[in-house]
Amino acid sequence: MQVAMKIWRYDAATGERALREYEIDAPEEATLLDCLDIVKDKVDGTLAYRKSCRMMICGSCGMRMDGAAVLACKTRMFDVAKEGRVPVISAMGNLPIVRDLVVDMDPFWEKFKAMKPYLQPGYDRPEDGREYRITQERMNAVKKEALCINCGCCVSECNAMESDPEFLGPQALAKGFRFVGDPRDAATVERLEQYSGEHGIWECTRCFFCNERCPKGVDPRDAIAKLGAEAIRTGIDRDMGAKHAKWFVRSTETTGWLRETELVPKTQGVVSSIKQMKFALNLIKHNKAGLAFPPHVAANVDEARRLRRLVLAQGRLGSAGHIQGERALAKLEHGHHDGGDPYGPGSFPKPYLPEDTE
Amino acid sequence: MKRVAYYKGCLASLSAKELDTSTQALAPRVGLELVELESVTCCGAGDIHEAEPDYYLHLNARILAYAEATGCDTLMTVCNVCTLNLRQANFMLQGDESLLDRVNENLKSVGVPVYTGSVEVRHLLWEIAEGDGYEQLKTAAHKGLKGLKVAPFYGCQILRPSKIMGFEDPDRPWSLERIIEACGGEAIDYPAKIKCCGFPIIQAREETAMGELIQPVEQALEAGADVMVTPCPLCHLSLDAWQQKLEAATGRSFKLPVLHLAQLVGVAAGLEESELKFKRHIVDPRPALDRLQV
Repeated sequence: MQVAMKIWRYDAATGERALREYEIDAPEEATLLDCLDIVKDKVDGTLAYRKSCRMMICGSCGMRMDGAAVLACKTRMFDVAKEGRVPVISAMGNLPIVRDLVVDMDPFWEKFKAMKPYLQPGYDRPEDGREYRITQERMNAVKKEALCINCGCCVSECNAMESDPEFLGPQALAKGFRFVGDPRDAATVERLEQYSGEHGIWECTRCFFCNERCPKGVDPRDAIAKLGAEAIRTGIDRDMGAKHAKWFVRSTETTGWLRETELVPKTQGVVSSIKQMKFALNLIKHNKAGLAFPPHVAANVDEARRLRRLVLAQGRLGSAGHIQGERALAKLEHGHHDGGDPYGPGSFPKPYLPEDTE
Repeated sequence: MKRVAYYKGCLASLSAKELDTSTQALAPRVGLELVELESVTCCGAGDIHEAEPDYYLHLNARILAYAEATGCDTLMTVCNVCTLNLRQANFMLQGDESLLDRVNENLKSVGVPVYTGSVEVRHLLWEIAEGDGYEQLKTAAHKGLKGLKVAPFYGCQILRPSKIMGFEDPDRPWSLERIIEACGGEAIDYPAKIKCCGFPIIQAREETAMGELIQPVEQALEAGADVMVTPCPLCHLSLDAWQQKLEAATGRSFKLPVLHLAQLVGVAAGLEESELKFKRHIVDPRPALDRLQV
């Protein structure tokens, strides 16, 4: 089949950037990585990209196709070629580009290392001196997080990291839960304290790009929610994000609906809220804030209160509450139903392309 | 008329009442009969999902159970965050019989009807972007928008994760554009339309959130937008209310009016100001609409 693609070339030494089009003949089963190999072998030997295993295990070939992070070795080109689309291939986002499709992974590995991605000693060793054995059920708690291959596709698209490069990000935090959720690890509290810092758990903006892009089904955003649940369960809840989350629980128990006006002082504290007074007064002027009178209370709200007490007593606390739903959610596949798009492939609305922004 | 159980959520009940009044006024014109739910609570907005996930599941199961008790097949939302939370809980319950049994036992013991799993959670956006809703929309939008340049802003939790939302391609969505054009507006394209507005962390990490918020505002204006439209009242709150903080932080003037989806369609359908309630907005959309005599 004939495959055409545009590739963003970049030379860090000169700072030169150029979008070049390539057309090659490739076998029908070819992946994006196969196509790049053909370009490099037959058209332009100077093209730079990373690769190793070619089978979705090593995590080397993360890059963007039409603005979305993919593993090149997992991305078949048949449908793209059949539709006559000419995809734009570029380097991953949120990491500095070294050359063409190669990014500098140092910032990625620094955050990874900061998570102490290894078991911390100190757990109770079995008396018989043999290896520490845990049940399958307890290991299942970190099954998804253990699938991570460190490819960086989630980090590439993280909206919070784009705004604050210091945010630990989805890969590091998912790795963090892999150890927080492991019963053999003896540093759970220290980890949760550390991960609850300024650039940790509570800086996640819940854009869900990480879940969407992860080629291995790790669902990093869900792992961050599990860390949040464990932090709150452990009483590590000083962060404004944790207080914000707890206020929703309190609201549903009392009025049933979010007590919006009290959310700011409950999250930020009274002193900080007073500094927001000018902003708040403008909201009140437009009826966007203020106390509802009579208070907005849901009918039969006592049912919610009793439900909470009941489930707390049943002991599926912290991340166990997330994990119980994973079996059902695993049956769903990413994607969307066809036929609704009235515009057809390649037509308006345009996809999010790097060439539109760079 | 399609009968749907209507879940308005927290914001449309309080700070975004204009979303509720415009949705209620628009609904019959696009073939929707709204059955209001009395006994429901907040869905937890992702916060209870994070703080106490087992309680989140039960809270949402309770909402689904009351929706099912109305006899409607559809629970209609007007908020992205409600849509994600309710759809996620629904899939957890529908896909795991033993979990559904446990949750139902708990619901029963506090006097809530049991949930059989028959309800589908759908956003107003989806109801009017295709099928009967779309056909009725074309007739309802008789006043048109006179070529008003409208920037669609989807927000995150109506697109991703696609395995839970599944309505359209999360990278190339089309529903808002289709509605804008059916109403006689011109849809403006810009990259940040599928990105985050920063709202979930706007209180806990304001600076990071503002770095996200500025992108759609700036890009939409550069692309020539007269107004922006969003299906999410949380996106609306950050885009409309926090815009003044963006202006203070950058020293620039944006003044981009942001409309709720039901308001934009409502303008084209000739709803009254008492239903649209534009005076509740921080950035008043009326000058932009008056300029084109929309």
